[in-house]
Amino acid sequence: MRATEPGRTSLRPPTECRGLAAPAPVTPPLVEFRSVGFGYPASARHRARPFRLAGLSFAIAPGEIVGVIGPNSSGKTTLIRLLTRVLEPVEGEIALEGERLQSWGRAELARRVAVVPQGVPRELPFTVRELVLMGRYPHAPGRFFENPADVAAARSAMEATGVLDLAPVPLAALGGGETQRAVIARALAQEPRLLVLDEPTAHLDLRYQVETAALVRRLNRERGVTILLVSHDLNLAAQVSDRLLLLAEGGLVRLGAPEDVLDETLLADIYGCDVRVESNSATSRPTVWVPYTTDASPRRAER
Amino acid sequence: MSATALAIALVLVASAPAAAFSARDMLGREVALAAPPARIVSLVPSVTEVLFALGAEARLVGVTDFCDYPPAARAKPSVGGMVNPNLEAIVALRPDLVIATTEGNREETFAQLKRLGIPTYLVAAHHVRDVTDLIARLGALTGYQQAAGPLLVHLERRVAAVTAAVAPLPRPRVLYVLWPEPLIVPGREALVTELIRLAGGDSVTAADADAWPRYSLEAAVARLPEVILLANHGANTGPIDEERWRRLRSLPAIRDGRLRRVDGNLLHRYGPRVVDGLEQLARAIHPEAFR
Amino acid sequence: MSPHARLALTVGGLAALLVAVAAAALFVGSAAISPGAVIDAVTGRAAPASVESVVTRAIRLPRIAVAALAGAALAVAGVAFQALTRNPLAEPSVLGVSGGAAFGVVIGQSFGLGLTVPEAMGLTGLAFAGALLAAAAVYAIAAAGRGTIQIQTLLLAGVIVGIFFSAAITVIISLLDVNRLGGVIYWLLGNLAPIPPGALGLFAILLAVGFGLVLSHARELNLLALGEESAQQLGVNAERLKLTIFAGAALLTASVVAFAGPIGFVGLIVPHLLRMLLGPDNRLLVPTALVGGATFLLVADTLARNVVAPAELSVGVITSFCGAPFFVYLLRTRYRGTL
Repeated sequence: MRATEPGRTSLRPPTECRGLAAPAPVTPPLVEFRSVGFGYPASARHRARPFRLAGLSFAIAPGEIVGVIGPNSSGKTTLIRLLTRVLEPVEGEIALEGERLQSWGRAELARRVAVVPQGVPRELPFTVRELVLMGRYPHAPGRFFENPADVAAARSAMEATGVLDLAPVPLAALGGGETQRAVIARALAQEPRLLVLDEPTAHLDLRYQVETAALVRRLNRERGVTILLVSHDLNLAAQVSDRLLLLAEGGLVRLGAPEDVLDETLLADIYGCDVRVESNSATSRPTVWVPYTTDASPRRAER
Repeated sequence: MSATALAIALVLVASAPAAAFSARDMLGREVALAAPPARIVSLVPSVTEVLFALGAEARLVGVTDFCDYPPAARAKPSVGGMVNPNLEAIVALRPDLVIATTEGNREETFAQLKRLGIPTYLVAAHHVRDVTDLIARLGALTGYQQAAGPLLVHLERRVAAVTAAVAPLPRPRVLYVLWPEPLIVPGREALVTELIRLAGGDSVTAADADAWPRYSLEAAVARLPEVILLANHGANTGPIDEERWRRLRSLPAIRDGRLRRVDGNLLHRYGPRVVDGLEQLARAIHPEAFR
Repeated sequence: MSPHARLALTVGGLAALLVAVAAAALFVGSAAISPGAVIDAVTGRAAPASVESVVTRAIRLPRIAVAALAGAALAVAGVAFQALTRNPLAEPSVLGVSGGAAFGVVIGQSFGLGLTVPEAMGLTGLAFAGALLAAAAVYAIAAAGRGTIQIQTLLLAGVIVGIFFSAAITVIISLLDVNRLGGVIYWLLGNLAPIPPGALGLFAILLAVGFGLVLSHARELNLLALGEESAQQLGVNAERLKLTIFAGAALLTASVVAFAGPIGFVGLIVPHLLRMLLGPDNRLLVPTALVGGATFLLVADTLARNVVAPAELSVGVITSFCGAPFFVYLLRTRYRGTL
């Protein structure tokens, strides 16, 4: 059962505290980051200033939805890459199901962790069915063609995301929302324990944003899939996630319930502009809004 | 020869190994034949001309597209070009010998012929004595030695006539242009260089070790040639652009009006017409000696 | 229909077509040999030294074999390279490897190699040496000290290396003895010729190795279309895949240049034709490219040696004549956005 914090003010943890703000999970964590550090090599000239991820420590409990938020270049994408072994940490350790990530084979890892990227490459010539079947690769990398079990798993994944009817359709013919659902289906076909979604609602119409959010919650509740949701949409993250992980400039700033993490002063400080947070009785989650028509300077703490 | 000796000789010949008639080609390779060749394919226009001159054309069953002299040669079946003769066409003629040259035919062709079991006789000529050698060899190869003798004598007489006529005359510096762009000229190993010398001139490019080096226009002009000879290559090539040479008005050759055309077909082939070429060269270099 | 069945049927059908074309090619040529004589030659009833025997068995058959092997190798290399670079315009020659191989051969020909059998093998060896040099250069540029191959850089590196060797060949041509020039240029145009059985055998083995390398990674090549990062997150070892495919495509391309000469456009056209017919799945494309490429080049070469008989066109001329309009067609369809 997930714990929800009562009032904000009395139980708000100090900003300097970097670590678990929610009560420690009862079951062993699915993913653990322990003092993880990473820096792109000095020769990487595509960055304006050298980027470093430092001292990142947190845990994800099985069955929860964790939202990762923060400004651009705060390390959100790097986090995903470290988790999926696209990058190796320079310091610290990452554990999956208690085992060091390094001891996991690539295919093995892909059977546990599936990533839903922001879209598919333009002009990908495959059909929905072919794309979803690609998700079966980690289950038998040596197999040339997919077997009936693979086909069944793919079918199930397409059903779960509602794209079964679109199976023979080329991806190029689909709209943004349908493409997103196809990509989620592909990730589901991997039958992962952890589903990582990288900016799943970027570029989507509102309707499809709502659909995606509902799909994510349904997958979590009905299939028990643990979700790691990276998003720049603070409200989406707030409404969907059990906990939020706020990153800024390569460091963990706060981890906890949405009410604790979405603090006006904190957000204003991190995002560098005027940010307002209000409680919302309809969703029982905080709502973030930004006054666009006033001067963009951090608000002095007055309240 | 006594009858006994003849009988012994006949027995020896009869019991000799099949490859009794072997020959060494002009590159020093052994070419093994069972008998004097009766069906020859010539991949070299020069060789075609020699065979006709010897009267051995009955032995010639195939020629190239470029074998255009004498006119009767054009009536012979063609196997294609010099660079890309058609293997099937060659094989279909059932030759027992193919005569080819390393200057104009490809090594790949020799390798293919060897693989197909067709003997290949290679020729090459850089000097006038090679031409003599070629005529003598082809005579021996085809059994037409009797024709070779008089032919060679006749050719030698004409060469002597030319050298005698030009002997007292001053030797001008001669620039021979095989091809204008890029400028290709004869070096030490080109037959034309010796022909120019015999015709009473000195090729300005004779010192170059290659057979046909490329020169820049500057380098050629810097030698201040007194005679410039432009070679044409038969009806297939376009007209020679003399204008670009006439523009070099300060050159002795242009100043004195000694820019001449010569027939390349006579000078680049090494058959009997080489002597015609020599006579043409002499007339071009020393017109006054041949009025 | 199961994917296995579909693959077997498609490859089987194309293989039957290949056999039919090869058989037909046996009967056409410059030498006028009756069909009956050809059959006699093939079945061994004709005398070994007879014209039909020599022409059919020593000229036509090996040439058909070279055309088939070269076409197969080029088409498979084309599929592999297009999938690796995710670029539909990629062609094996863009790898830079064929330029290096051609350079090696031209060097050898300039020195007059080829007269004896060891020298002919020497030419083949020089071709592979040149190819290895080019591949090493391309890899060095593409890996750029990072130890990992960057695909965008790979394409660029291949083009650069190819241009470099092209320039080097031009230098040699400009200095080459006039008598050798014709031969070198003739080779550079791309002409197929029969090769001895030993060389054919070696060619076939190298083709099998290259084909095996590519085919065994066909499924991963599909995943690579999602992008390297996504492919890695699905469990693909992207670095090893890139290296393996590069090595396989390079081996295939180098073999073609070494045994058959520089032939263009097959590696571009055949993969596209097959993709239009069969879809983008590399597991289908790689095996069908093997058979389809063989058929394509065999048809082109049969035309090349017969349309202006007894003269011969370079097979490169035929493939280029197909290639240019094909490029136009590609541009128009892609421009219109249809797939």
